[in-house]
Amino acid sequence: MRFVDEFRDPELAQVLSREITALCEPGRHYKVMEVCGGHTHTIYRYGVQDHLPDNIELVHGPGCPVCVIPMGRVDDGIAIAEHDGVILTCFGDMMRVPGGRGSFLDSNARGTDIRMVYSPLDALRIARANPDRQVVFYAIGFETTAPSTALTVLRAAADGIENFSVFCNHVTIIPAIKAILDSPDLRLDAFIGPGHVSTVIGCRPYEWIPRDFGMPLVCAGFEPLDLLQSVYMIMKQFAEGRAEVENQYARVVHYDGNPVALKVLADVFALRPFFEWRGLGSIAHSALQLAPKYAKYDAELRFELPGVRVADPKACQCGEVLKGVLKPWECKVFGTACTPETPIGTCMVSSEGACAAYYNYGQYAKQRLTLEVLQ
Amino acid sequence: MTSEPATCEVTEGCITCGDVAVPLVVVQTRGFDAQCRDEKGRTELVATELVGDVQPGDRVLVHAGVAIERLSAAPAGG
Repeated sequence: MRFVDEFRDPELAQVLSREITALCEPGRHYKVMEVCGGHTHTIYRYGVQDHLPDNIELVHGPGCPVCVIPMGRVDDGIAIAEHDGVILTCFGDMMRVPGGRGSFLDSNARGTDIRMVYSPLDALRIARANPDRQVVFYAIGFETTAPSTALTVLRAAADGIENFSVFCNHVTIIPAIKAILDSPDLRLDAFIGPGHVSTVIGCRPYEWIPRDFGMPLVCAGFEPLDLLQSVYMIMKQFAEGRAEVENQYARVVHYDGNPVALKVLADVFALRPFFEWRGLGSIAHSALQLAPKYAKYDAELRFELPGVRVADPKACQCGEVLKGVLKPWECKVFGTACTPETPIGTCMVSSEGACAAYYNYGQYAKQRLTLEVLQ
Repeated sequence: MTSEPATCEVTEGCITCGDVAVPLVVVQTRGFDAQCRDEKGRTELVATELVGDVQPGDRVLVHAGVAIERLSAAPAGG
């Protein structure tokens, strides 16, 4: 929840900070991954890490949907927009994501009509207002956003709107967490679970994490004190020898999620056999496509696409950053060749990307200063 | 938002890309949609199919123009 003063109270933060420190086992280092890009943003905007003892390290996960879009899918979007009469619509952050042929903004400079929308329903409104144009929604996002795309498809079908389709890049969070846990590069101790994804899917889908890996997971809200309290709940589990799924964000998240939204998702979408994630590679059953009964709204069937895999720029280390193996400031081009104004990698594009969050809130300067002192 | 379009920007983040959802209050219902207002008085037309019938005064959590959950009547944070 946003704009909530009591969840930003500095005195309460200090109290929580002391209690977290008291729960730490001396000599033990704790790595806690926040899966969600929104959490990464809060952590660096409010300096949450500064309220934690040195032996609790927050590691940033792959939960920024913009950051995990592979370059080839950006090129596919541009290819759709280059068809005669097409209006491609997308969320704002997608406009600057670099593909093999530049970004959507670059493409517009060459003459395509790619527009930013706030909601897929806005894309449907554009389709209604432009019956002689083909309007495509470039869908990205986890389970928080997928219901809005699903609802839009249902409304298009109900109203018989023929000039609307969806280029679906929705991904699902559980396979990504599995891929991270299977990665040999990274040792984690616990997860801060995504708050609004969990509003839709609930907490039950995470239960295998404590069961199979012995790691606590706490679904968390987005205010600074939400995150501190979640770390406290994780540390309390360690101190008491427990590993469970807990729900810090109970004021919003129900343990079983939103059953209506889940039913709509199951109706409109089907799982893709494979989908490429930037940095994580191809992950089985990790993304959504339109179900066969809504195939007429599938832009991948309506338009011819290159569908070519495009390798990331060599200098870019977004993959390691997305897996939490590298801190953003450890990337070779961070803050020099790659900045929010001229991003090379996707993690620098979205404000929820770990690199942009570091860059915008000055953490990189602090880290570099620390290094200089150490040297 | 009708008076201040929600966009991706550095200070508040991207409402759609960052898993951000905002609590809004229903002002008026229009079929499956509802005109909703945030605490700054900005209004937005929100699709409500995923949360069932809503009435003026109800609080909903909204992401990308769609209500994804009902919130309790207590002030945000409860």
